[in-house]
Amino acid sequence: MGLGSRAGLSAFVAFMVGVVTILSLLLGDNPALFGDQPGSDELARRLALPGDVLLRLVVIVVAVSIVIGIANLLFVHIGRLARRKFISAVLLASFGFTIYWYVTRQGDTSLLEAVQVPIESSLAALLFLSLALGGARVMRKRADIWGMLFVAVALVVLLGSLPLAELAPVKAWSDWLMSAPVSAGARALLLGIALGAVVAGVRALLGQDRAYRAYRG
Amino acid sequence: MSEEFNWLEYAEPEESAPELPQRSGRRRILPRLPSLPRPRLPRLPGKPRKPRMPRLPKLALLWRRRGEAALEQPSATDLLGGHDERSLDELDDRLLSLRERSVASSQPSADSRQALYDVDDVLVTPEILEKPGGVISAVALSKAQQQQVELLRDIVGGAPQADEPGGGRLFRSAPVFSLSAVPRVVGTGILLLMASLPFVSSDFSEGELPPSDFAEDRPGPTTVYNLLDNLSADDFVLIGFEYGPTSAGELDPIADLMLRHIVAQRAVPLIVSSNPIAIARAQNIIREINRSVASTELSLERGADYHILRYLPGGSLGLRELSENFADVVRVSAKGELTGLEFASLSEMSLIVLIAEYAEDMRNWAEQVISEADGARLLAATGYAAAPIAQVYADTMDGITGLVVGYRDAYTYGEKLELNFGELPQAQPEVEPALPETAPVSPVERAPATAQPPPTETAIPSATQLTTATPEPTVTSPPTATQLPTATATLETIRIVEVTSPQQVRIRRGPTTADDILQLARAGDSFEVTGANGDGSWYSIALSNGLEGWIAAFLVEERTVTVVEFQSGQASASANLSDERVFLWLESIVSLGKTRPRFYQSDSPVPGDELEYIWMRDRSREVPRLRAMTFGTLAATLLIAVGNVFYALAALRRRGRDAQSE
Repeated sequence: MGLGSRAGLSAFVAFMVGVVTILSLLLGDNPALFGDQPGSDELARRLALPGDVLLRLVVIVVAVSIVIGIANLLFVHIGRLARRKFISAVLLASFGFTIYWYVTRQGDTSLLEAVQVPIESSLAALLFLSLALGGARVMRKRADIWGMLFVAVALVVLLGSLPLAELAPVKAWSDWLMSAPVSAGARALLLGIALGAVVAGVRALLGQDRAYRAYRG
Repeated sequence: MSEEFNWLEYAEPEESAPELPQRSGRRRILPRLPSLPRPRLPRLPGKPRKPRMPRLPKLALLWRRRGEAALEQPSATDLLGGHDERSLDELDDRLLSLRERSVASSQPSADSRQALYDVDDVLVTPEILEKPGGVISAVALSKAQQQQVELLRDIVGGAPQADEPGGGRLFRSAPVFSLSAVPRVVGTGILLLMASLPFVSSDFSEGELPPSDFAEDRPGPTTVYNLLDNLSADDFVLIGFEYGPTSAGELDPIADLMLRHIVAQRAVPLIVSSNPIAIARAQNIIREINRSVASTELSLERGADYHILRYLPGGSLGLRELSENFADVVRVSAKGELTGLEFASLSEMSLIVLIAEYAEDMRNWAEQVISEADGARLLAATGYAAAPIAQVYADTMDGITGLVVGYRDAYTYGEKLELNFGELPQAQPEVEPALPETAPVSPVERAPATAQPPPTETAIPSATQLTTATPEPTVTSPPTATQLPTATATLETIRIVEVTSPQQVRIRRGPTTADDILQLARAGDSFEVTGANGDGSWYSIALSNGLEGWIAAFLVEERTVTVVEFQSGQASASANLSDERVFLWLESIVSLGKTRPRFYQSDSPVPGDELEYIWMRDRSREVPRLRAMTFGTLAATLLIAVGNVFYALAALRRRGRDAQSE
């Protein structure tokens, strides 16, 4: 079998798996489609089976891929260790120490609380400083109507979030901004995401996006 | 195509081991950028050179080779082309064709070369190639793009580009301090200072605290609270922990409170997550709850009082697995042990609670979990960042019944919980059991043990006579006398004060208004009196966190509480308090030797019944934190306003100058 035909075969398999899964989900989850005929529930259950099996296989593959990802990470940093990359040595030592700690202390996750949570929380807190300083410099390069609008909206929302009775009128504006424009934008965003997901799914099913193939056919 | 430039020859030579083949089979349209020289730190004079790394054992060498291979990211075809330990006769058709492909791709054919030349002819004109630097110098941003990059870099305070002085090098010799950094340094300092002030002194208390009940125009949080409050013993609640350490500061309080609320109803939480770190976080929150119980006998037991189920890989597919194969998922815990739980479907869950960092998680749960569970209700909690989209989901999706947002809602939830469950103790150091024989009972304030039924009114000593304090919490309010069980002994009589002021009152470190504020109290809160100042204008009271505070006498009403022991060996404090919401039982302080009482709600005050119980989390830092958020937001607002006004005026001045010059 030639290389081109193999690529076509993989695309065909992916297409068929996708179609089977969709049909299985569509028919298996809606026994009402078969009417009130006797045995319709059993038929729906049987039709749902292929989709369920395929989806469970995907979950297993994803779980295994996590293990593969960890192994790949280790291999990469072992390779970097050979190049005397100090940070890779730190990573490998941390990896080993965390495993040792977790095993010997019977599932103690205090390292998570002592290291990872403070670091990630601190990084999230730095976002506050970055955004505040960035917001203060908007008009430095963009002193136009859009810059002013941006700053004005930011100030209204910030003032509206302050728990001060004197700012009650501003809070009303802020609430309106959050409930009308922000909500409208959020809904538009969700519509866009949904449409994008449909398009991406159809492209994958039709073989236009073939991320699963091993090489270009 | 210019004769002076051949992209194939220009391609950067690989640094990998020579035995590894180069990545092939990909058409390279543009030549690779030359690699930057590796920065080296200047070696200090006299400093010994780094010792050579020890030789790696054989297995490690194999790993190293694999690591190097992974680093270079060769394809399977490349790897196969580089191997020659097997003769070609041993290879099957598939491996043979792959090897042929590898060998062929390492020697570009005339067709592929021509194809790439064609591409170069299209993309790169001879004019470009004749310029110094060729293609690389031609790949440049337009003026508008450069302005956008400059704007972004200016906003985020980015590092200089490679063509700027000192740019492009990892260890550039930039000055330690630059005048251009002054605004950023000053702004950062102001923000940090303002956000830190409430933690330094309680005088910085601007802004209103969140209310003690949810606003009527937001029914979602009230629905969440009421549904959790209506749980009954042995109900099962599925809890989705879908947040990581980044959102721990914002979502930990509400997760903690919800868990306490659930276990207070003696319902059983089943914790599950598609985020492996979130499972560890849930375990730590349970551990925090157990730390607030001094006796291990009272702590939550994994596998009985709560369950942490196995990790769900695959994101939304994992959640579908949860809903479709719920019976299988609940059989195994996160530690791989059997849980012993037998459920047929998700519909057997009384409630489903989701604590999510992202709105996407809410959508996944609503689509994959709730839609598969008939009649299930999803209660959600999320942070401010996800709130705009999460609120849309909560408003439009049928399964989502209520939504709690952010730290302020968590504070209100805690307030509501405390009010409905009474004055609850916070976590405090373990103390020895207060046995009646050894308890430091003052003859003045403690009544002798008698076999009288409760309650027993005792003469109240004067405030100045009180000198001792006992660790037992005190507040009680029996609904009716007929509901009380038969008392066997009166243990002691203690004095309490109940806050009568309709406004929140301040409990201070000393008997003056100049002393620091320790905490706030509201009408109905009660505290044990441990003493008074000379003129009786201030009471010294025992706080639930073990500290001693002072409260002004005109804000409170003094009462007497009698602690009695009942036939079942349990003790209770009772008094004629006006607060009818709360009836707290002190269980087995003496007879069972427990060091910390369990607190029950007042619905069924018969000891031994299946009563609700709860231990409250330590909320002492919540008020300073809320103040810090207020001050930080205020500082950010001022900074943004002042900064932009300054820059806008500068821009106007610059434009005026430009207009004059024209």
